[in-house]
Amino acid sequence: MASKLVEKKRKVRVAESESEDEFAGGDFDGILSQSEDEFDVGSDEEHDDDEESANEGSRSEEDDGDSAILSDDIPSYIDGEEAMGKLIEDLPELEIEEPGVDPKRKENDDADRNYRVEKDANGNERYVYDEIDPVYDSDDSDAQGAVNTIGNIPLSFYDSYPHIGYDINGKKIMRPATGDALQSLLDSIEVPKGWTGVTDINTGNPLNLSQEELELVRRVQHGLLTDDLQDPYPETVEYFTSIEEKMPLSAAPEPKRRFLPSKNEAKQVMKLVRAIREGRILPYKPPEERQREEEEKEEVHFDLWQNEEAAAPNPMHIPAPKLPPPGYDMSYNPPEEYLPTKEEIEEWEKLDPEEREKDYMPQKYGALRKVPAWDTLVKERFERSMDLYLAPRVRKNRLNIDPNSLLPKLPSPFELKPFPTVAQTIFRGHEGRVRSVAIDPTGLVVASGGDDGTVRAWELLTGRQVWSVKLSSDEAVNAVRWRPTKDTFILAAATGEDIFLMVPIHPSVAPALDQASRDILAAGFGYATNGHQQTAPGKEPPAKWARPGAKLEDEGVLIRVTVRTTVKVINWHRRGDHFATVSPSGQRSSVAIHTLSKHLTQIPFRKLSGLAQTAAFHPSRPLFFVATQRTIRCYDLQKLELVKVVQPGAKWISSFDIHPGGDNLIVGSYDKRLLWHDLDLSNRPYKTMRFHSEAIRAVRYHRGGLPLFADTSDDGTIQIFHGKVPNDQLEHPTIVPVKILKGHKVVSKLGVLDMDWHPKEPWCVSAGADGTIRLWM
Amino acid sequence: MAKIKKKGQSGSTKNYITRTQAVKKLQISLPDFRKLCIWKGIYPREPRNKKKVSKSATASTTFYYTKDIQYLFHEPLLQKFRDQKVLEKKISRALGRGDVSDAARFERNASKPEQTGKPRYTLNHVIRERYPTFIDALRDLDDCLSMLFLFANLPSTSAVPAKMIARCERLCQEFQHYLIVSHSLRKSFLSIKGIYYQANIQGEDILWLVPYKFNQRIMGDIDFRIMGTFVEFYMTLLSFVNYRLYTSIGLKYPPKFDQSMDEQGAELAAFSLEGVNIATDGDAKAITNGESAHGPDPKVQAEVNKLVKQLKEDSSNGDTPMQTDAEEGEESATDAIDKFEPAAPGGDVLPQPEESISDPAQFFSNFTIFLSRETPRQPLEFILRAFGCKRIGWDAVLGEGSITTDETDPSITHQIVDRPVIQAAMNGNGDGEDNQTAQKLAPNQRYPGRIYVQPQWVWDSINDLELKSPELYAPGAALPPHLSPFVKAAPGAYDPTLPLDAQETEAEALDAELADADLEEGSDEDVQNDMDVDSGSEDKDDENEDNFGGFSEGEGEEEEDEEESATLQRQRELEAELSGKSLKSKSTDAKTKAKLEAKKALDKKAREEAEDLERAKGMLSKKKRKLFEQMQYTNNKKSAEDLKLRSKRRKLEKEKAKANGKAEVRFR
Repeated sequence: MASKLVEKKRKVRVAESESEDEFAGGDFDGILSQSEDEFDVGSDEEHDDDEESANEGSRSEEDDGDSAILSDDIPSYIDGEEAMGKLIEDLPELEIEEPGVDPKRKENDDADRNYRVEKDANGNERYVYDEIDPVYDSDDSDAQGAVNTIGNIPLSFYDSYPHIGYDINGKKIMRPATGDALQSLLDSIEVPKGWTGVTDINTGNPLNLSQEELELVRRVQHGLLTDDLQDPYPETVEYFTSIEEKMPLSAAPEPKRRFLPSKNEAKQVMKLVRAIREGRILPYKPPEERQREEEEKEEVHFDLWQNEEAAAPNPMHIPAPKLPPPGYDMSYNPPEEYLPTKEEIEEWEKLDPEEREKDYMPQKYGALRKVPAWDTLVKERFERSMDLYLAPRVRKNRLNIDPNSLLPKLPSPFELKPFPTVAQTIFRGHEGRVRSVAIDPTGLVVASGGDDGTVRAWELLTGRQVWSVKLSSDEAVNAVRWRPTKDTFILAAATGEDIFLMVPIHPSVAPALDQASRDILAAGFGYATNGHQQTAPGKEPPAKWARPGAKLEDEGVLIRVTVRTTVKVINWHRRGDHFATVSPSGQRSSVAIHTLSKHLTQIPFRKLSGLAQTAAFHPSRPLFFVATQRTIRCYDLQKLELVKVVQPGAKWISSFDIHPGGDNLIVGSYDKRLLWHDLDLSNRPYKTMRFHSEAIRAVRYHRGGLPLFADTSDDGTIQIFHGKVPNDQLEHPTIVPVKILKGHKVVSKLGVLDMDWHPKEPWCVSAGADGTIRLWM
Repeated sequence: MAKIKKKGQSGSTKNYITRTQAVKKLQISLPDFRKLCIWKGIYPREPRNKKKVSKSATASTTFYYTKDIQYLFHEPLLQKFRDQKVLEKKISRALGRGDVSDAARFERNASKPEQTGKPRYTLNHVIRERYPTFIDALRDLDDCLSMLFLFANLPSTSAVPAKMIARCERLCQEFQHYLIVSHSLRKSFLSIKGIYYQANIQGEDILWLVPYKFNQRIMGDIDFRIMGTFVEFYMTLLSFVNYRLYTSIGLKYPPKFDQSMDEQGAELAAFSLEGVNIATDGDAKAITNGESAHGPDPKVQAEVNKLVKQLKEDSSNGDTPMQTDAEEGEESATDAIDKFEPAAPGGDVLPQPEESISDPAQFFSNFTIFLSRETPRQPLEFILRAFGCKRIGWDAVLGEGSITTDETDPSITHQIVDRPVIQAAMNGNGDGEDNQTAQKLAPNQRYPGRIYVQPQWVWDSINDLELKSPELYAPGAALPPHLSPFVKAAPGAYDPTLPLDAQETEAEALDAELADADLEEGSDEDVQNDMDVDSGSEDKDDENEDNFGGFSEGEGEEEEDEEESATLQRQRELEAELSGKSLKSKSTDAKTKAKLEAKKALDKKAREEAEDLERAKGMLSKKKRKLFEQMQYTNNKKSAEDLKLRSKRRKLEKEKAKANGKAEVRFR
């Protein structure tokens, strides 16, 4: 109980000190409200002891007494006097109610201690301290009593308590009584001076402001100084310039720059002036106006090409190609044949857009109004722009020529004729292979030689054997060749190492011709006996010329020439006085040239690179061709020098022939190739023909003016070609394969061994390994 | 010892530079480089050997000539680009500092072509460089016009500012005005993509495409920045070209532009051309009939005109000597080509260009043409005016600028209509009158004394420079095909204007006749037979193709053919038996037999030719043969296309004939 008492006392004391403060401030309005508060506090305290929490029931009870005072007196200024009177009355009452305060204080004063000792209910000693009396400065208007010390926390924490915090002495500050609705309505109607409608968080009372405070707020709001007394802009007092010194601080004369205009400034100004004159600095205009002006400003129009000069076009510049003009199928109403069929549309749609040949399908619209916009027009235009700037341009030379002009002018099959096509006659009689065949210069008789060692003469057209002679019993006849002049009827045949020259006995041969032939053959004997001593005595002659014996002479064989090795090839010179023989196995004496009129044999080459295969005279000039395995060498017989080396590129040359014109050469080889050489053009072949499946045995040009040549092969065929050599040097020869003649049988891998052309007609004879000779026409 | 050569230091590699290198060298961004290339007309090149040229290991795709890039170094535009870059950097830096007012100031100074439509730089010097002469510029005008006409019809977006579109439209219309005044439009073609126009200016043919007036669909992945760059260049080019063209015929450029008229959709009529001096003023005024419609009293106008004319003759005798000459005497000199008559026989005949009978300037000059509201007004107005039509009226819906919007105007000679004939209205003529407006006629009502044609009539007429017969182009009629005037007839190519007989080969004709004959035989029987015939002919084609391949078989095939025909004959007999009819072919066969034989002969000839060809080809070297085959390939492709077209046409004609025949039968 005692503590409660103390509390009460404290409260009163606080109220007292407050009221004193107020009076000291001289604010009467404040007193009214303040005193009212105190009263409330006091009345609250009475019930505080009984009930801890502020429940409504007790509230209403207190209100019976107090609210009358509150509502009636306090806010109204009309009965302010009454209220004062009441207050004054109340104050003594309070003092009467708490009598123990004053004597204790006296005690306190006496003891001069800040506490006093009391006895509590149990009789123990208890220290009771004095109340703190903070001494504030008088001008501190904020420092009002009963300041809430709860700190910066929301007041709502105390909502469930009757107090709203604690003062500096640790005493509860009780919640002021709030008016009911009517009260607040009244408050709002009759607004007291300084009423703000705001509740003071420290006390929970309505916060009213004094006139001074309001004025202060107004000033702060308007950004004025808080105090009227201060003059913010006092007159300047120019202490130094206004007072002229009698004695100057510096005795220096006034510098020149003080009274001359500045050069630098003049420069700056001139800069600006110039900028203004040149229009670099424009008078200020609001941005909107400037923008409008710019928009309105018309662009300048002038003739860009006023003084145009045509410059030579840059050779490196490629102008962009123009887009092709639209064709018929782009029409909105094309002819009906341009419209695609269903399949075409499907195919077009199936393709990737990039692969399509055209980017549109022709379409027909019945009327112009039905034509829609083209979907991809913008895209197409964009692609065109991309092409213009990003596509590399290349100048492509388009051959604007008729493709047919590229084709060579081929002779028509009509022009190619005549050429042999069928086997007209088959000559049978030889036993074993027929090695060689030749048609005489008149074209009536065919001579042949074969493995049976006989030389036979046949009538060309009928195939009847007219003459036969057996030259050797054990060796084959390797070559038969007619002397190429028409004034004689002389045949040369080679058997083993012997070469026989003979005049076949034939009914069609006129006796005069026969005699002339025999004379020519015999003429050499006289010469040989006369000039025999020419050869060096110690040396063996390269060949022996002799008569073959009476038996053979009766048959018509008149001369036998014996050389050192087996002769395989005989070739006559065009005049018929010389003939060349080749015997591949003979090392040094493989090639021999025989002179008929002198019965003389010469060996032109001491040494040959490679094995000689065949040799021939040039048809018009004194040239001599010798074929070794790989090359053909051309020698000048007059100058005795090497003229040319032809390299056909074949691995093993079997035979060659020279065109009657003399500038072209055909070469057959065992490696199945037939090669045409243009001697003027190159050493290499002009054309290579590989039409045979087996080795080529013989090649032969037609000598009677027809552009034909043929080759024979071990595959049993004869191939006929049309080979025209133009008169013009610039043109190349035309070679056309025309015919394959089949008929000969292949016997033990040997097919057709030799062939020869008729001197005038397009006929040829061939000698086969099957023992037949065939005439093709 | 020789120095070891480094890669990329000498040879052709020095002539080329890749794009990345070029951009680095010029120190500009790729978009700027792109702009520069577009404007300066610099394009990539294709080196002979890319590997030799590229300095890096990876394959570069785009190469430029080093000299081209070197040439860009001196471009003044380069400096502008750099300035722009600097400015942008300044702005971004100011923003980074939070200095908004500074950034705003820089921003204000920056050129914003997307807003104003006008950049700070001009492309005048570029155009002068690229086109040193005016003719050069004309030669390159195709793409320019196509692009600008397209942009004039685009909707405005953020990428395509409205100002740009407006300017494109204006430039295009100015150009059209020149064509109208100078009558230099030559041809036009309605394609599925748009309308092609061809004009001849100073001897240069210019072809361009104008889209139909619809909202253009803009597909994805179109970079409008690139297009915009082109458009910027083309706009400058066309404005200079327009200036030159206008001044060349004594007109003032730019022509006066009436904003209010344009807003009412007057288009071409919104411009009024003015002469540089008064002499040409009168002529120019006549072009825009919109003005004459709104002009003062015609009587007064006539008097004034007369006065002006007098004045003109007095004042500008020197200016127009031609005119005065003509008035003085008709025999005086003209610039027409004289006809050279041979004085004595025996000389060669030299061809002369013929003066066309109908002058494009006078082509439509006597007509008053009214356009119905469903017709495309812009192209029609342009073409009609360019071909001399002075009086064109159209429905008020189509916009301002017509001489009359009254369809009932009696002075109208031609009306262009593009609507179908409505059957219902045909029947009830009385119904037609309760239309909302009195001046409009009922849908099918015809005004007497007037020719009604579809729009294609105008195009076909101007392309051939002769007035086509309007019956063919009557409203609702099936139109004759619209043919492109730009196709030049190549020898041997298919030409739809010629009759089929004139251009098909002998073999084809024979084939067709044979097929016909078969058809006649089989026509009574079934449609299925038709099919048979078709397939038969196809088979024959196939055989022919086979024959080309193997020529060497020779004689055997003829026999085969004969055998085949024999089997065919037997087949036919069998079929006839089945269908229970006697084979009446004996009599008709005489004819068909002859034809068959002719065909056989032809086949043989073709085969022989093919054989020859093959032989000749065999003689060619490999290189030449390949070249030959390539050439042959393209030729064959073309001829195959032609063949297809001809066969399609034959089929169509046959169908038509059949239909006609049937119709006639029904008629009886």
